[in-house]
Amino acid sequence: MVRRVLGRFLQLLLTGWGLITVLFVLVHSLPVNDAQATERLADRLETETSAEKIQQAQQAARLRLGLTKPVFYISYAPVSQHQMRPAARWRWNGTHNQYHQWLNGLLHGNLGRSYRTEEPVSTLLASALLVTLPLTGLAALLTIGLSVVLGLWLASRPGLRWLLTGLYALDSLPIFVVALLLLLLLANPDFLALFPTYGLGMQDDETSSIVYLLSQPAFLVLPLASLVITALTEPTLQLVSALRHEAGLPYTQTARAKGLLEKQVLRRHALRNALLPIFTLFTELVPNLLAGAVVVELIFALPGLGRLLADAAATHDYPVVLGGILVVLAARLLTLALADWLYQLADPRLRIGIQ
Amino acid sequence: MKSFSFGLLALLLGCIGLTACTSQPDAPESVRIRWATDPQTLDPLLATAPQAIEVINLLHGSLLVGDYQSQRYVPWLAQSLPVVSRRDSLTLLTYTLRPEATWDNGQPVVARDVAFTLKVLNCPGLPTEYMRAQYGFVLDIELDASNARRFTLVCQSASQDIIGSSGDYLILPEYSLDPQGTLRPVPLPLLRTDTLAAVQRYPALRALAHRYRTSPPNKLPGCGPYTLTAWAKNRYLRLQRKSKWWARNVRNAPRWLQANAPQLDFRIIPDDATALLALRRGSIDLYPMPTAREFNRLRHSADTANLFFRVADSYDMTVVGFNTQRPALQNALTRRALSMLFDIPGLVQATQQGLAYRSVSLINPHDKLAYNDSLPLPAFNPKAAAGLLQQAGWRRQPNGTWWQDGKQLALGVSYKAEDSGHEIIALQFQAAAKKLGILVKAQPRNSELLKKRLRKGEIDMYVRTMHGNPFSYNFKPILHSKGIGILNYTHFQNAEGDRLIDAISVEQNTMRKAKLLRRFQTLLQQESPLVVLYFARHRLIASRRLSPTVQATSIQPGYDALQLKPNSSSRR
Amino acid sequence: MRRLAWSEKISWQHGAAIGWLLLLVFAAIGSLFLPESSLTPDLRSTSVPPLTFQHWLGTDPLGQDVGTMLLYGARTTLLVSLPAAALATALGTTLGLIAGYYGNTRLRFPCAYWLAAVLLAGSLFLFRLPQAGIARVWYPLLLGGTALLLGKQLQRFSLFRRPLAFPVDQLVLAAVTLLAAIPRLLLVLAIAAAFEPTIPGLVLLLALTSWTQSARLTRAEVRRLLELPYLEAAHSIGLPAWRIIRHHLLPNAWRPIATTFPLSIAVFIALETTLSFLGIGLPPETPSWGKLLALSRLSPSSWWLLLFPGICLLATTLSLRKLLTLGKIKSTF
Repeated sequence: MVRRVLGRFLQLLLTGWGLITVLFVLVHSLPVNDAQATERLADRLETETSAEKIQQAQQAARLRLGLTKPVFYISYAPVSQHQMRPAARWRWNGTHNQYHQWLNGLLHGNLGRSYRTEEPVSTLLASALLVTLPLTGLAALLTIGLSVVLGLWLASRPGLRWLLTGLYALDSLPIFVVALLLLLLLANPDFLALFPTYGLGMQDDETSSIVYLLSQPAFLVLPLASLVITALTEPTLQLVSALRHEAGLPYTQTARAKGLLEKQVLRRHALRNALLPIFTLFTELVPNLLAGAVVVELIFALPGLGRLLADAAATHDYPVVLGGILVVLAARLLTLALADWLYQLADPRLRIGIQ
Repeated sequence: MKSFSFGLLALLLGCIGLTACTSQPDAPESVRIRWATDPQTLDPLLATAPQAIEVINLLHGSLLVGDYQSQRYVPWLAQSLPVVSRRDSLTLLTYTLRPEATWDNGQPVVARDVAFTLKVLNCPGLPTEYMRAQYGFVLDIELDASNARRFTLVCQSASQDIIGSSGDYLILPEYSLDPQGTLRPVPLPLLRTDTLAAVQRYPALRALAHRYRTSPPNKLPGCGPYTLTAWAKNRYLRLQRKSKWWARNVRNAPRWLQANAPQLDFRIIPDDATALLALRRGSIDLYPMPTAREFNRLRHSADTANLFFRVADSYDMTVVGFNTQRPALQNALTRRALSMLFDIPGLVQATQQGLAYRSVSLINPHDKLAYNDSLPLPAFNPKAAAGLLQQAGWRRQPNGTWWQDGKQLALGVSYKAEDSGHEIIALQFQAAAKKLGILVKAQPRNSELLKKRLRKGEIDMYVRTMHGNPFSYNFKPILHSKGIGILNYTHFQNAEGDRLIDAISVEQNTMRKAKLLRRFQTLLQQESPLVVLYFARHRLIASRRLSPTVQATSIQPGYDALQLKPNSSSRR
Repeated sequence: MRRLAWSEKISWQHGAAIGWLLLLVFAAIGSLFLPESSLTPDLRSTSVPPLTFQHWLGTDPLGQDVGTMLLYGARTTLLVSLPAAALATALGTTLGLIAGYYGNTRLRFPCAYWLAAVLLAGSLFLFRLPQAGIARVWYPLLLGGTALLLGKQLQRFSLFRRPLAFPVDQLVLAAVTLLAAIPRLLLVLAIAAAFEPTIPGLVLLLALTSWTQSARLTRAEVRRLLELPYLEAAHSIGLPAWRIIRHHLLPNAWRPIATTFPLSIAVFIALETTLSFLGIGLPPETPSWGKLLALSRLSPSSWWLLLFPGICLLATTLSLRKLLTLGKIKSTF
């Protein structure tokens, strides 16, 4: 089994590499790429600067950023209009290309520098992850825990339909509305000023570090709440639906006949089977939370990965975009491998069926 | 399940308890300012964000600065404005540095630092392309052998504007970046013209580039009033006033050499609603440029006891531009007709809540001398617009649409997607044009994409906000034919216009310059490549913690950080 | 007895749900007949609270009437979210069924055709189509014909007759991994930053980035079902694949999909809204509820910008949910 999981992981790794390669080539072939250097110049252009001077400066900037090299090992070969025979579609560029250089840097742990700020991408990502990892990690754990608890609860008590309706209602609200509502209700001087409005506090305040640490959760409550509230509904409802389905199957009848309480039947027997289709949902949690984090980080002013990537995408800062996607990809691959492994643990039939 | 609800309750109570600890105020003497975005980088060579430029100007010093009150360049590190003389076709600017000016280590700021700075601005291997283009007119620097604080800049141009721009770069410390003085023998003209030869002959250049790149730009010592003590990306920046800043020794120090706040905290809060709440809860002291709506709402609310409100007439103009090279818009009459479809008073009310003022053209009406008050303000007049369209050769079809040479009059209006003010303008124009039978599409666009398309001339009409300044009139990038493909988004090409723009930039006599500017406004109204809808008023909300002397300023960022002072009497 | 009370209680709720959805459709159709000028901003009354003359539901910060915007928004919701959700679910279910049923081993073709296909794809990839005239047509035709002939000829040899499996499951899984690897919102953000969205474009973009969830759910369910004895029996009596899929797998796999369908509509509405909120939505000619919600950010004190579209969103998704339970009740009785 270890071999299978390892093999699957390797396969995922190859998929990820393929994806990032495709993205790299796509992104670097976009014409917008050129605009970076130009914009910087043109925006603050003054006095006697002539068009030729600006073009020279642009060329110099592109040379410095390595954008004059071909993008990939092969590139489209130009062909004349009147050619009748099939001609080679591609031209070989050798290792002197942007992708090779980027990959080489990647293997040495170097993700390049941001176009906008010339800072190493790895530094930017690391500082963003310090915020996003605790946020999304906590949110994922809370969501899973709460959804299992709520699911069991709801499945054992069919009378709680209002709660289901409430969950649907929460789910139909986009995350930014939930976040705005929380903000306006719980951090508003006109209403209830329970929580701080924004940010993560000031680390270097004169206040002692213990107070700072204690205050940290308060800053995270509202962002966490918005993430969990919006992510909770889907796994819970799936679980309830699956549990109800399982509750009608013969094996649960047997368990009931043994004299177990409904609660125990659900928890000890049905849950294990009902969780199976839910695994897929749980593995989607991390990317979904990360996407939600873009909005939450914007509203609550948290300097996280989502905001970094959204900003970079909007300003076409491709080294940062690619680096961020790489991180997200890695997280994703890990969760997928984990889900695969959990599948096998939960359903012994699969273990035998595959081999 | 009861335990579950109890747990939830306990969590909630715990959080409430914790927040009690968090509402502790910051250091009482610090001034907290709201920013919407992070400065991204504080590298003087790379910074483009207005926030970055603001901070850099507080950390470092330049020879001259623009003063918003007198609307002129004033000496900062320099003792006075430079002495101008001519040598053949070249302009010589002779500066003397203030004797009080020192670096943090006590060493005086000398002419050699200026020479070093100019060499760094031209140093290969650093992201200096923009600087090279911007300060390319400085051919050489000549140090005065008898006075270490005096030097002469040899400049290429005859334009008036070079005096300002010859002194607006930051002076870098030679002692920190190049303690051995390895760049002293490198001649500036060689560095400007032939970088390859320069690097070959002086390997020290490469070493310097490496040193500069590897040292964090926010640690670079400067001769400004503040030092950066903390910077958490996308969260906050903290600036501390230097305990022994040289300008305190300057007798009768002018306003721009006084730093009032002992500590400046810039808090980065992207969302407006969040920022407003933070202001009302007293977590920030200064909120520059709130939306006009919230500004007015708050001004008439109960919060006025804790806050005060300031406005100032700004140089930020909202303009509509026509791409003059599009076939449908080539005729000036068409452009003038279309510009009559903007209901400007209504737009001022809807977008700025009345906090704006109108102008006939790109000149601010406050410049009484240059503003051409004989021209009429653009008026909303669809009937006259229809007449002008007829004159321009458009024919109205029975179904109400306009045609010329087999083509229908149909346009797209582009604007930055997140700007709701621009959207109102586009929608109002669209509605007015539709009544007249002109098909208009509103096209909100991502700002990078918009700029690219504007440069390439792929857009019919656009709505933009331009930031002007009171220091010089330079229309070369935006309306000169040489600016096409760069910043001349209207692709406006007019021989008389080019001549006037060139003449305005070199004219030294104020009266004659004003006359040229008046002529230029008339031409702009005739040709109508750009229509100025209104100039906005800068708004500012400040907490009563700050001393009431705080004023809104006419130029970006809308306040003067040096002027902010915490009120000593009230402590929160 | 208890069950009866339940269904009685449910029925008025169902009535309300159907009523609301019908109202929505009417509103969408009705918005077609609104005068052209109804979207013109009223510059003198921006952010007017509800119950003012001429603007009974108030106006937004752009001076547009909230009531009118809601009507137009109903149309946009129907035009974007419904087709996108339907398209994504259909695509996902189909791919999930195929991947789950055929797995990596069940879909086989003779070796010969594999070889021919590889040759065809290789030459198309390596060599450029000549640009001029008829050559544009004859080149792919020639390649295709050669490949078919080659396949036929190669089948004569027993070596090439050996069937080789087409790994559908692996391919679908790879596609799912690729798409799911990047958060959808980020992907859409990045794409929308480079292109300008239109309604069909948005529908396609949303559907193509969102089919993975239903595909994964279906596939998991099918794989679970395939292990059950009655399906093994169905196999052993030699029922054709499409019958097994259509009559045995689809009805069972449909359950988790059906539960998520209204949710996925809600997700699409939310996604469209969030895009508007982040400033890259549809052009202003197509107002949406999302746009209104996003505008509430411009004037946080205008509660009516949050309330009315919020209620519309809520009512729509809750109604959809109710409709599906109706279908379930019918099928169980």
